[in-house]
Amino acid sequence: MTVSEPGTAVGTATGTGAGNIDGQAIAITVFSTVKWWGKHWLPLLFTTLRLIPPLTRDLRKLSFIHFARWTLIRELPANGDTAPRTRLRYPHLFFESNFNDGWEEYIDAFSYVLTRGMSLFWASSYGFPGALPTGPFKDYIHRNELEAAHYYSAYPEATATMVRKALALAPAVADFAERAVRLSPAEFEGAWSAFLTDAQDLL
Amino acid sequence: MTIATPRIRRTPPVPDLADIQGGILRAYGNDYSRTTYLFVNVDETRAGLRWLGRLVDDVTSARPWTAGKPATTLNVALTYDGLRALGLSAELLATFSDEFRAGMAARAAQLGDVGTSAPEYWDTPARAHVILIVNALSEDDLTGRLADLRADLGRYEGLSLMHEEHASLLPGVREHFGFADGFAQPAVEGVTDEKAPGGGVRDKDGWRGLALGEFVLGYPDESGRDSDGQDLPSAPAGPLGRNSTYGVWRKLEQDVALFRETLRTSAAAFPGGDEEKLAAKIVGRWRNGTPIVLSPDGPAADFRGNDPGANDFLYHDVDADGRRCPLGAHIRRSNPRDSIGFGELLSFRHRMLRRGVPYGPPLPPEATGPDGQQRGLIFVCYVASISRQFESVQVQWLEDGNVFGLGHDKDFLIRGPADGSGKMTVPGEPPFFLGPQPTFVTTRGGQYLFVPGITGLGAVAAGTAG
Ligand code: HEM
Repeated sequence: MTVSEPGTAVGTATGTGAGNIDGQAIAITVFSTVKWWGKHWLPLLFTTLRLIPPLTRDLRKLSFIHFARWTLIRELPANGDTAPRTRLRYPHLFFESNFNDGWEEYIDAFSYVLTRGMSLFWASSYGFPGALPTGPFKDYIHRNELEAAHYYSAYPEATATMVRKALALAPAVADFAERAVRLSPAEFEGAWSAFLTDAQDLL
Repeated sequence: MTIATPRIRRTPPVPDLADIQGGILRAYGNDYSRTTYLFVNVDETRAGLRWLGRLVDDVTSARPWTAGKPATTLNVALTYDGLRALGLSAELLATFSDEFRAGMAARAAQLGDVGTSAPEYWDTPARAHVILIVNALSEDDLTGRLADLRADLGRYEGLSLMHEEHASLLPGVREHFGFADGFAQPAVEGVTDEKAPGGGVRDKDGWRGLALGEFVLGYPDESGRDSDGQDLPSAPAGPLGRNSTYGVWRKLEQDVALFRETLRTSAAAFPGGDEEKLAAKIVGRWRNGTPIVLSPDGPAADFRGNDPGANDFLYHDVDADGRRCPLGAHIRRSNPRDSIGFGELLSFRHRMLRRGVPYGPPLPPEATGPDGQQRGLIFVCYVASISRQFESVQVQWLEDGNVFGLGHDKDFLIRGPADGSGKMTVPGEPPFFLGPQPTFVTTRGGQYLFVPGITGLGAVAAGTAG
């Protein structure tokens, strides 16, 4: 893997504003206004999902997502003297995520694979058309999306999948290197071949 | 995992075959062994409109032929520059998709058309206006029709014939590397339902064809299928938004001598030394088209790509790790079916109707090196969205491997990174690493096209499209 200056890599990420892309990574930031009952509904949903991990299994299986996070915002924190802490008249759902590949593919996965989950997250948001069909759902996300003013990825060439594989490969390589020093050339040949066979989907 | 079955069950919309241009929903067929693309520029709007106005009546529609096959067919595609040159209003022009408006040359960096594939080295005009597509049964038929079209063009001042690209089928409907090509196509609901197993998508009731709107504008696509026809995919305004489609035209030069040489030298290190097997691993099919996922040890002698069921296979349950068909094989990348998880849900919105034809003479089998002739594939596909159906396949599935867990590996059949660092992993015990990756394919030209319905084309010619 070659590493270029942060923020300069030409990646394969597609489908969103240039401000949201750095190398392989894409940011998405969505604000939506929540109906009054959302301030009870969303905390209940978040707690349930935290307590019962199998409910988010499919979300975690989508390996191109680095992380996705939903937050209920009820007030804006103080920002110096000019912008004091403000209580919002309506609560807002703040959604942020970082992922690889393409914006369309990402929302498609939300629509088709996580249909029910998406409907639950945005159920209390004004104007939410439903997670399917995808067309109106994409329009909705586009309308409520903010382009990042600055987006930075420390390893713009890396993707979540690559990092995960590299982390799994490192101990296997270390282990093999340690064994290898004790092997005769003939033994090494067989062991190397066995190592490649075992590790092939990480290479 | 299957797609949700629609809440409302409707009969699929009936395509208006008399208005949709021919050669899109169904190929004209292998009897049309010759295809020529004429690039025409419109330097003067009035002349262009008059010329098109006369041509409209000759355009071949998708209506089935009742009186036998015509000797030639004629179709008309336009670029964004062409629509501008023909005087469409700025408001109407703004309703075409962003990538179409930018044009293929402007997307070169994303599409991987860099280095020797960059637009400055193309040998077809980077800016074109109108492309006429002529198919013919025989060389004589072609010669006659082209002479008529050239004479017709000559009658107008302000039109110029910029380029002619001649393509023709190779024996056995092979592409130049020697593989049967062009038969694995998406099934379209209400048109080619017989191809649904393996070519469509599964819902609770089994396989069905993909919504017509995935390939022809003005009809519900897979997103709108469920919304009672209310939610049509984005399309140009007015008559151009109906029975039309977007097209992708690419001239891809193939280095056949290098391909054969690479197979020969790499097979020496490949277990069993089997060159044919290595070739099949790169493509995902044996030369006669047999999918290696179904037949890993050799081709089925009686395989015929157009048989119903020939394309009826998936990857996940039988070959998740790619020991039969590598995850990086050309057909597994370009249509991963269920191999990227969740059934076909992450791949079925990225299908294209491919209508490519090879150009140039075949390299004789006994040739021992390059013969100085140019040859390759005129890659053509039709889609409702160039960005979703062509660009994301090209950029994320062929030019990169992350989706498949293959890091930055590119499709081995097409081209490697300029620094020679590319490779392909052929899974096995032990795996085989094919590399360094040469460049077998170089882009020599390309256009994003718009293919109007016949009514829409008439409206352009009459100046009433808007
Ligand atoms: C010179 C370049 C290329 C060659 C020689 C080539 C060759 C082939 C061959 C031999 C097949 C298998 C036969 C068949 O399925 O019909 C195939 C399938 C396919 N190719 Fe290509 N191809 C080339 C470029 C491309 C490009 C640029 C794309 C898309 C961006 C593409 C997309 C596809 C698709 C979608 C399939 C069908 C896969 C399936 O449904 O299983 N090909 N190609």
